[in-house]
Amino acid sequence: MSTGLVKKLRTAVLLGFVFTVIGLLIYSRIMAYSLAPTMKPADFRGLAIWEIPIAYLIDYFSHGWICLLFAFVAAGLVYEFVPKEAITKYMSSGRVAGYGLALGMAPFLTVCSCTMVPLFGGVLFAGAGIGPAITFLLMAPAANILSILLTGELISWELAGVRIIVSIVVALTAGIVISKTPWGRAIEKEHQQTVPTGQASIEIVKPPLDERLWASLKFAAYLAKQILPFFLLGLVAVSYVQAYLPEDIVGTYLTGVTGVLIASVIGGPLYTPTLVEIVLGKGMFELGMSKGALLSWLMGQPYDVANALAVSRIAKWKVVLTYMLIAWAGSVVFGLLYGMLSGSL
Amino acid sequence: MNEVKVEVLGLEPPCMRCQAARKVAEKVAEKLKQTEIIVKVEKANIMSKDVVGKYGVLVSPAIAVNGVVKFMGRVPSEAEVEKTIREAVKKEA
Repeated sequence: MSTGLVKKLRTAVLLGFVFTVIGLLIYSRIMAYSLAPTMKPADFRGLAIWEIPIAYLIDYFSHGWICLLFAFVAAGLVYEFVPKEAITKYMSSGRVAGYGLALGMAPFLTVCSCTMVPLFGGVLFAGAGIGPAITFLLMAPAANILSILLTGELISWELAGVRIIVSIVVALTAGIVISKTPWGRAIEKEHQQTVPTGQASIEIVKPPLDERLWASLKFAAYLAKQILPFFLLGLVAVSYVQAYLPEDIVGTYLTGVTGVLIASVIGGPLYTPTLVEIVLGKGMFELGMSKGALLSWLMGQPYDVANALAVSRIAKWKVVLTYMLIAWAGSVVFGLLYGMLSGSL
Repeated sequence: MNEVKVEVLGLEPPCMRCQAARKVAEKVAEKLKQTEIIVKVEKANIMSKDVVGKYGVLVSPAIAVNGVVKFMGRVPSEAEVEKTIREAVKKEA
């Protein structure tokens, strides 16, 4: 067989796989088949301790595999096909473009935290300033494609939409506020430097379609390998929460103004970049958590600890503390607002 | 004798994909030794001021051949890197 034919065949097979995955999701939509776990807290009550996680995992994966598969494949494809060189070129070009790109592109570029921190540093050093860098940093984990897809599929698309909008507002506010503070400016001055304007030093090699498809599936598998072990552990924890957390505790502490405050506080430290917060949020929502508290809970992630540590090495702790405070305030304010507007506080 | 400088631009401390990119570059270097092309593989921190000053903002991992960024944000295959290096040699000659 000629190599040309092999290449065409490979492209066809890979494209076929991608379209099958997309088709499966659409089909499950049309058939109104639930992709979220269907077990209710009451279903767990009769089970032995060791049976609970097993029953939950089986329930979860029998419904959730299409959604997970789609989320990972989509993340891989988007990451591979997003025009990275165009983005990085404009990111160094100025403030307004910097903010715009940080908001528009962060969700697509940063399914992996190891791309996020260097971009933060790069944007900062390249002269776009600390504002866009912070915006980018907050926007990325709050509204990346994986977590939005899963929020939409598992909880509701309404919440996913609200999550995106609130992330934009909070990230932009934090960026602008920090760029005005004296300590933010100090960092900016310290790191700013001129960047080659010609961009002649970058000539990206474009690989053929079959290799790009293969690379995006490989990246999807890499993401899955990174995330799934924690995701599984998280699901086990969720199954126990579902089984043993009494509904009246959730009803008392995770609704109303107190609910929003508590959810926003525990959402931060508990956040792991593993999508567990979505399943855990869903579990508590079913136990009676209000919509407002749920939003606060999901918005807790931008001030997670691991992220903050990595950033504090470049920016000083004052900057980290400022953006954490703003993110926290944002999650409380918008949690309350959303709770009131949706009639579920 | 041809000499090519390959810079692998990654994160410090190393992330998994940056290490994968470096391994690819080193394997290609080993292979090209037999063909009279000397490939010098260097590692650079993508977040250092030197790298940002030279190349601008990059997505990790990136690979630069003779001072030109050729791959960014992905781990290329050995065949791709080899081809790119050979092209760079031709250009020099």
